[in-house]
Amino acid sequence: MQVIIFRKGIFMGDFGGLGIFFAIALIFPVMALIPAFLLQPRQPTKEKGIPYECGVDTVGKTYVQYRIGYFLYALIFVVFDIETVFLYPWAVRFGQLGLFALLEMFVFVGILAMGLWYAWKKGALSWK
Amino acid sequence: MNFLAIGTEIAIALLMLIVLAADLLLPKDVSHRRIGVISMVGLAVILVYTFGQYHIGASPTFFGGLFFVDNYALFFKQLFIIGMLFTILFSLEYTEKLLRYRGEFYVLLLSALLGMCVMASANDFITTFVGLELMTVSFYILVGARMTSEDSSEAAVKYLIVGAASTAVMLYGMSLVYGAAGSLVFSEVCRNIHLFYAAGLAGVIMVIIGFFFKLSVIPFHMWAPDVYQGAPTPVTALLAMGSKAAGIAVFMRILYTAFPILGNFWLPLLAGFAALCMIGGNIMAIRQTDIKRMLAYSSIAQAGYMMVGMAAADLAGMKAVLFYAMLYVFANLGAFAVLTVIDTERGGTSRRDITGLAQAAPLLAAVMTISLLSMAGIPPTAGFAGKLYLFTAVVERGYLWLAFVGFVMSMISVYYYLMVAKAMYRDLTPEEAEYAAPVYVPLTVRAAVLVSVFATLGLGICPEWLASLTNAAVQTFMR
Amino acid sequence: MFSDFMLTHAWLIPLLPALAFLWIGFFTRLHKKRSAAIAITMSSLSFLLACGVTWAVLSGPITMETPFVQKTLWFEIGSVRIFMGSLVDPLTAMMLMVVTMVSLLVQIYSVGYMAHDPGAGRFFAFLSLFAASMLGLVIAVNFAQLYVFWELVGLCSYLLIGFYYDKVSAREAAKKAFITTRIGDFGLLLGILLLQITFGTLDFQELKVLVPAYIWISGTSFMTIVGLLLFIGPIGKSGQFPLHVWLPDAMEGPTPVSALIHAATMVVAGVYLVGRAYFIFSALPVVMNVIAWLGGFTAFFAATIALTQRPIKRILAYSTISQLGYMMLALGVGSLTASMFHLMTHAFFKALLFLCAGAVIEAMQDEADIFKMGGLRKKMPVTFAAMTIGVLAISGLPPFAGFFSKDEILGAAAAVSTPLYLLGTLTAFLTAFYMARLLFVTFFGEASPGCPATETNAFMRWPLIVLAVLSCVSGLWGHFAGFGEWVYFGAAEETGIDWVIAGTSTVLSLVAIGLAYEIYVAKRWSAYEISQRFGVLYTLSFNKYYIDEFYTLLRRTFCDGLGRILYWIDLHVIDGIVNGLARLVGVLSTIFTFLQNGQVQRYVAVFYGGVIVLVAYSLFYAYKVLTLLGGAF
Repeated sequence: MQVIIFRKGIFMGDFGGLGIFFAIALIFPVMALIPAFLLQPRQPTKEKGIPYECGVDTVGKTYVQYRIGYFLYALIFVVFDIETVFLYPWAVRFGQLGLFALLEMFVFVGILAMGLWYAWKKGALSWK
Repeated sequence: MNFLAIGTEIAIALLMLIVLAADLLLPKDVSHRRIGVISMVGLAVILVYTFGQYHIGASPTFFGGLFFVDNYALFFKQLFIIGMLFTILFSLEYTEKLLRYRGEFYVLLLSALLGMCVMASANDFITTFVGLELMTVSFYILVGARMTSEDSSEAAVKYLIVGAASTAVMLYGMSLVYGAAGSLVFSEVCRNIHLFYAAGLAGVIMVIIGFFFKLSVIPFHMWAPDVYQGAPTPVTALLAMGSKAAGIAVFMRILYTAFPILGNFWLPLLAGFAALCMIGGNIMAIRQTDIKRMLAYSSIAQAGYMMVGMAAADLAGMKAVLFYAMLYVFANLGAFAVLTVIDTERGGTSRRDITGLAQAAPLLAAVMTISLLSMAGIPPTAGFAGKLYLFTAVVERGYLWLAFVGFVMSMISVYYYLMVAKAMYRDLTPEEAEYAAPVYVPLTVRAAVLVSVFATLGLGICPEWLASLTNAAVQTFMR
Repeated sequence: MFSDFMLTHAWLIPLLPALAFLWIGFFTRLHKKRSAAIAITMSSLSFLLACGVTWAVLSGPITMETPFVQKTLWFEIGSVRIFMGSLVDPLTAMMLMVVTMVSLLVQIYSVGYMAHDPGAGRFFAFLSLFAASMLGLVIAVNFAQLYVFWELVGLCSYLLIGFYYDKVSAREAAKKAFITTRIGDFGLLLGILLLQITFGTLDFQELKVLVPAYIWISGTSFMTIVGLLLFIGPIGKSGQFPLHVWLPDAMEGPTPVSALIHAATMVVAGVYLVGRAYFIFSALPVVMNVIAWLGGFTAFFAATIALTQRPIKRILAYSTISQLGYMMLALGVGSLTASMFHLMTHAFFKALLFLCAGAVIEAMQDEADIFKMGGLRKKMPVTFAAMTIGVLAISGLPPFAGFFSKDEILGAAAAVSTPLYLLGTLTAFLTAFYMARLLFVTFFGEASPGCPATETNAFMRWPLIVLAVLSCVSGLWGHFAGFGEWVYFGAAEETGIDWVIAGTSTVLSLVAIGLAYEIYVAKRWSAYEISQRFGVLYTLSFNKYYIDEFYTLLRRTFCDGLGRILYWIDLHVIDGIVNGLARLVGVLSTIFTFLQNGQVQRYVAVFYGGVIVLVAYSLFYAYKVLTLLGGAF
């Protein structure tokens, strides 16, 4: 078996600096938090234990189920989002790309259209 | 642009869209078996097409060499397609009876297959990642496809969370490798390996960990038992054979083409983890009473066996791994086809559910026994030939202790495999006889299990048939 | 066209019974009738195929020198390539015919014989497996394939002898058979391995060229050792002295099994092996002498034991050993033709005799002692007729089958060595005597009152009739159709009759039968007094020369002593380790399962734990490599 040849004298390379930066960045807040944690007076009351919601008392349970429709809308939005992301650069360079790119874009849009069709058909677009 | 090179992938994608459209056009309350039939026919055609792609000379590429269709990739693609084809075949009944979104099930199966095929051909880290995620995300959903079962949903969430963690680690590893080598193409990474330093090496290990997760190598295996048990049985089958084989395919390619020079680094690692898997997987499997869970642990051990072949790091080892992966597909097909029927008919896969199967459905009991014996490596099943190839390959490279661990652990594995056989073949006590419902075996399942048994026995008696194919697969690998 | 098709599909012949075995074993084990139907269907198909193959061989250009070979690569390890396939030459064709026909007839017979046995399904499965292994052995293209099927045959004999596994004696007999033949198999395996090492191939066709060349260059000394080792296998399997002890005990199995395996087909595997590898043996004079003398001695030796035995199947068992000795003798004196001819005729008449014995035992409600029978002639006329034909055939009286084949052997022996010829003739005399004794005591005389015997049912009767016809005509057919031009080694042999030799043995046989008639029917002399007069000899013969006892003694002193030491080691050292390991496995299993508590937090924690350890390993590794290179960082 061959021996690995490393660039001589380098252990971490450019990532080393980055790693040290992160380490120091981590140390600063920790250094700030530790004295506070050690010095703080501890007097827990019931008031302090309840969830903080902009100073307003919470009403009912805190576990609330949101309507699934929100998520579905967000997901379908992604379909158009992606379409736009690809269509923009494609449209800008369309002149140079030629017929092949046109066909490819049709394929791409077609696949996304299938997704939209699916969502439509399954009733994801109707707010129930 | 040589579109024929990615013909397989295009065809699978098309098939997926067709199946999706068919599902949308089909009324909700009719049988969705015909969708399954459409996908099977499509897959069969694609399978035939892939045979035509085998070649002797230079391998076709696509995307400027990022996508590489050599015989090695073709072999694995065929493996995935065969696995998928027969899984659909034996799960038609299951899908129809137990799943709510039947059409989507087939679509997602096909998208998982597409991901696997992309992985097999991937020649750079990005393509690998795209294929891997396509497959994995499909599997997240498939694992939770049985919406009425809490186990299934739980398994899906667990798989998603642990899988996301592993993806993060792997992606981080890839970025470190890119940082060190300045490229993501395997061959260029190999060329720039002299630029590596410690961070690059950490990246390599993180990529390896990502694949360890896919192969459910101990200690990255924790998800496997829960997910295997909770997932719908056909999906479990695919996790065991497809997902794992796809991981192996690209794992081997990365190790041998991107990091061959780092052999000193990853070879001992591979050997050590292979031993760990064989020992741990087999030992933990002993205690299990649920067959699917037992097969999950056994699949950990099987991954260990295949890693034994990879630790040989030569053509013989590679051939052995390919051989083993293929025969493992057939063994799994048989075992999981039986479990699928049991799951459909008796609503569970615990050892209690298969008790006395030999009387209720002798064919299934026979198939199960043969498949499990193949996994244990008893002649004249294919498993014996496979293990023989694996261990001879690794012994010739000097890892005698590894082969020894493999032998001993194979012996231990016979114990729990035969416990299943015993449960099936022993006489029932009266109360068990009352509980044991008759088992209806659909024709499709019969066909699937017969194919798997014939393949298992045929390859065991005459391994040369498959061995010549693996020869062809390996020959174009080393350019 | 047709013959080509038959030859290229010869591999189906063993495959069909094998399929029957699998099918019965997995699916219809519990259905007696279905199992029997499957087994018989497959056997008939395989018999038809065998007929086709024989026809192809007879009509085609296939001779002993130019066999039809078809093979496919079976597996390959390193440079060793092992093939599997089918080799068809006249010898194979003859064996295929004999084995398929006898096993088919025996299976039909078993339908009647096993009708009331709850394990009949299992029985048919094993019979099919046996037929498959024997047929696979016969068409083997090399020693490796042959050895695989050889062992399978051994396994089948173990399974079938121990078929009544709730009987202690059956279990013991099964073990005895298995272990005794294993001793022979070990020698065979050594021989095969030596061949592989020396020649790098095990293929019969290739060895046929290589062995004579090797002997031409290096002399016979090394090959003699190989030949002797190879011959140890047949000694075990074909019940030659001193490994014959298992065969009489093997009669514990059901009678059809005795007929099929321990008389007609399986035990001749050894003879067949010698015949198949004749190109090795015939080139080694020392080995040939050993074979001839061992065969002659076994023939005589077993015949003297058979003189005094009382259970019907035991007499037949010793006669089998004796006849196998004949075949070996023929091989040893250089006549493959005579040996194979006798093998064929013997298969028919010995199967016939055993099946008759089975019918008698069944009719007598499991009474096996011939002296407790008697007068069955009137009660079982068909069986009696069949048995008579069988006895006449084995005694070598014209025109029955044994006459031609035995004379062939005696003629061949006379041409080589007079002592061997005399030994053979003497054995022929003894054979006629004890077989006549068997016949007369069983069927003549007065039936004991309340004897329940009646004629057998149709399933058992028809195979008897077919075999009886074959026992009548197969010798004649072989003689006139020119068996010697068909199965031979070296030059084709004339199947002529040396009238002096034939006359002598015929006269001797007639005398022996007359003698038996006088003693056992006419009671001119008392059998008891004769046995008293030959006191020591009689006791020796009756107790089978105490060979079993001798082996027991050997075992007690050597094996048991060693066994006790090993047992102690096993109990305290090996078991200690194994039990410890098993306990360790249990403990580990518990620990691992404890870790697997179902909470995904723990899973991810373990996952990242693994990541940290491995990354640490990689950094450590990099550090070490850098230090080795002497660089700083």
